[in-house]
Amino acid sequence: MDFLKSGLKTVLGAPEPGQQPSGADTVERLVERVNNSTLLEDRRDACRALKAMSRKYRVEVGAQGMHTLQQCLELDRADNETINYCLDTLNNIMSPTQFEEEEENPNVPMNIGEQFTEMFIKNHQNIQLVLDLLDEYDFRVRFSAVQLLTSLLTNRTKDIQEIILVKPMGVSKMMDLLADTREVIRNETLLLLIKLTKGNANIQKIVAFENAFDRLFEIVSSEGYSDGGIIVEDCLLLMLNLLKNNSSNINFFKEGSFIQKMLPMFNTPDEEEVGWSPQKVSNVHCMLQIVRTLVSPSNSAQIISSCQKIMKNCGLLDSLCNILMASGVPADILTETINAVGEGVRGEAAAQRALGAVLAPSNPPRPAIVVLLMSMVNEKQPFSLRCAVLYCFQCYLYHNETSQASLVQTLLPSSTDVSSLTSGQLLCGGLFSSDVLSNWFSSVALMHALIDNNAQKEQLLRVLLATNIGSSPVSLLHQCTVLLQQSTKLQSKVALLMLLSQWMSNCPPAVSAFLRAPGAVGYLVTQTCSNEHDENEYLLQGMSAFLLAICIHFNDDSVDNYSKDSLKQLLVKRIGMETFSAKLSEVSRHEAYSRAAKHPQLKVKAASDILIDYEFCKLFKGLESVLIQSLTVVQTNGDTEEDTESLAQYKSLIRQQDARLHELLQQLAAETQRGHKLQAALTDATSENSRLKDENTLLKAQLSTAASIQPAPSVDANIQLEYQQKVSALTDEVNRLSAVNHAANEELARTKKDQDDLLELLADQDSKLNEYKMRLLSLGQPVEEDLPTEAEQSLA
Amino acid sequence: MAYAYLFKYIIIGDTGVGKSCLLLQFTDKRFQPVHDLTIGVEFGARMITIDGKQIKLQIWDTAGQEAFRSITRSYYRGAAGALLVYDITRRDTFNHLTTWLEDARQHSNSNMVIMLIGNKSDLESRREVKKEEGEAFAREHGLVFMETSAKTAANVEEAFINTAKEIYEKIQEGVFDINNEANGIKIGPQHSTGGGAGASAGAGGAAGGGCC
Repeated sequence: MDFLKSGLKTVLGAPEPGQQPSGADTVERLVERVNNSTLLEDRRDACRALKAMSRKYRVEVGAQGMHTLQQCLELDRADNETINYCLDTLNNIMSPTQFEEEEENPNVPMNIGEQFTEMFIKNHQNIQLVLDLLDEYDFRVRFSAVQLLTSLLTNRTKDIQEIILVKPMGVSKMMDLLADTREVIRNETLLLLIKLTKGNANIQKIVAFENAFDRLFEIVSSEGYSDGGIIVEDCLLLMLNLLKNNSSNINFFKEGSFIQKMLPMFNTPDEEEVGWSPQKVSNVHCMLQIVRTLVSPSNSAQIISSCQKIMKNCGLLDSLCNILMASGVPADILTETINAVGEGVRGEAAAQRALGAVLAPSNPPRPAIVVLLMSMVNEKQPFSLRCAVLYCFQCYLYHNETSQASLVQTLLPSSTDVSSLTSGQLLCGGLFSSDVLSNWFSSVALMHALIDNNAQKEQLLRVLLATNIGSSPVSLLHQCTVLLQQSTKLQSKVALLMLLSQWMSNCPPAVSAFLRAPGAVGYLVTQTCSNEHDENEYLLQGMSAFLLAICIHFNDDSVDNYSKDSLKQLLVKRIGMETFSAKLSEVSRHEAYSRAAKHPQLKVKAASDILIDYEFCKLFKGLESVLIQSLTVVQTNGDTEEDTESLAQYKSLIRQQDARLHELLQQLAAETQRGHKLQAALTDATSENSRLKDENTLLKAQLSTAASIQPAPSVDANIQLEYQQKVSALTDEVNRLSAVNHAANEELARTKKDQDDLLELLADQDSKLNEYKMRLLSLGQPVEEDLPTEAEQSLA
Repeated sequence: MAYAYLFKYIIIGDTGVGKSCLLLQFTDKRFQPVHDLTIGVEFGARMITIDGKQIKLQIWDTAGQEAFRSITRSYYRGAAGALLVYDITRRDTFNHLTTWLEDARQHSNSNMVIMLIGNKSDLESRREVKKEEGEAFAREHGLVFMETSAKTAANVEEAFINTAKEIYEKIQEGVFDINNEANGIKIGPQHSTGGGAGASAGAGGAAGGGCC
């Protein structure tokens, strides 16, 4: 800290004595310095100081310096040191974790890093800046840029993923860093890629396309596979991200022969003293997760089957089985391996056969399956391990009639080899054990041997048990009904009901056997009618109703007291159809049902939560509507007393209605006739009416023509005459006037001519007058000026 | 399975021209008449034989829709071959070829072999683009050209295999740097002809370095 303080002093100058500047002030001054300094050295120093302060004063540095730092990334690109300080400062500001320095400070909000991230990515160009810096080879720059991107991704995974996805070469640039020879960068890049690929299928595909699996396997192998450090785990986590729910990448993984490359991961150490380090446990756990992702039941059947084939053929399945049988394997690894083996063989006959053939290294050697089942029915084994064994066993039986048959075979009297323990015996033992979980696991396991396999359902009926020494043996089915009636534990009851439902569905002989068992039907009816209000009681009632319906639907009438019809009547009388369907629907409403229906593997946390199995859900879903339909349809066809009574009622009602109908029909006929008559009369009237109308029109027309012809000529003639007289009078007048006009015109012309003559004469006289005047003047005779002027005036 | 080389392909072109159908026909030998929109990118693979050598083709079938264009661009760089597909019954898909080609040339390595494919040749009655036009376009831009039908499988094998042959020849000529996996070419794990491959790799190294 002293060094830091002295560093600050050199940058900021010594503080004024007696006045300690606050953090905010210092940050402000530093930011100003970065903004305004012209010398690179000054900016670099200021950035260094900002970086030093960004942990303790991240709010201040972020609020005031964010923009400046962004600019710095752009403008000072040439100076790696400055860029390094900038990136580190930004990384501190946006760090998703809380720093020690700020633990005491109540002013720092919890999600401060996220808030600053949000600000930073508002401008997508900022991400591009950081991505561009990945190209810089300098260690500090590259390293800081990777770290910054990791922080950003941690804070706003989805947003940044989308931004990077549309940046050309964005993902590819990061992939290139995996090949960096400096391990620190490579390792940081792994962390970055894990964040980057989380839940984004498009990025996952690009990363895979950029040879990610090759790179990762190279790293894993160079680090020593499962014995390697945390880097191996990181590589595996990244692979897991790339494969999870991404069928395209799984396909690529398979086609690229990467399954084969996983093999060395599962090489069990020959010498046993080498224990399992926690890191190795994590590594192998991840690897098992990858295996399971490839063959997960949620993938398409085609992918699962081809991956399973490859796993079996390349020896991966064998390696996994070796872990199963090895000693000193930690329990959680063992559990996960059992699950992985299960999914690795599920539905693939050759792989299932291979699993069935695995022998445990015990003395005498026992089949691995038997050893596993021993753990399942052993109370002392961890719960999760027992669940895993059940799942694995279910997978072993899944869609495989041979393995189903071989299980049932071990229970049949003919084949019993007293000396060796068989899986069938183990399951029967579990069925009747005092341990509830063993009951449940064994019932469900047995149930899986019967799925879609009618032959085995009938075979299992042959199984006899010796209960007490001396007493005669009883059949397995009989014993199950006895247990069902005696048991007080919910899980055992549910398990037995599931087993019986599966067993009796589509199998009339099993139904008959059940109906013959004393008290069985009575128990089911009582259970179904029971009126207790509790979630689990509802479930029991519903499942009992379900089994009862199976007894009716798959009944071949071979048991006298409980024929199809008599059972139906019993059901209608004692329970009633509506109550019955209501109870039935309770089953699928139970929480455990919806949980189990999601995935073939049990997903329960505690032993007490275990209740319903996936395959039972499938059976129930498939049969529920069929059963209800068959019950209701048959009921309406039934010929009971009630029916005849109501039939008579209806008959009389129909008769009454028939009579009334007849009456009404007659009325109707009469009315129709009347209607016809009226119609005819109406037509007559109408035609008469129209005839009269026509006549009327005709007459009117005639009348009007006659009236118009007579008065017209006299009036016209009078007026015409008058007008003619007037016209002739007017013409005469015009003629007369034009004659007058003509005369006047002539008169005017004559007068004009006279005027011209006079004017000429006057001009002569005037010139003569002037001549005389001149003469008079020349003779010296004074001339009166007035006279000629007056004469002129008068003339003018 | 052992292979001598592994080539990465991409299939590009407008939406609905039959890219996914070409891939399906090539890998599974079946035809899917319903257009199922490709989201992002899908993967397929098949082994072929060229010159007596096993060659593994890994093919990334890209979405043609504009919305996915920025995603599909990420695949250009690492591919050794590209099938650029148009639909002979839709003139606009042919008109867009220039844009596709520009995009591909800009983002890929310069040695990427591009094959121009006029698909749906079975729909002769609805043809809008003449075969000659496709040929002319290919000649002008230095591409290999072929008309195919993903429905009848006509020329589909040839399209993929001829592209591979072209890449193979370029490797023989030393144009490709086969040690740089970013070019979309990988030497098989059991490929023992180290001398020849090494020599061509050395020659290709210089050429590759120059172009990048």
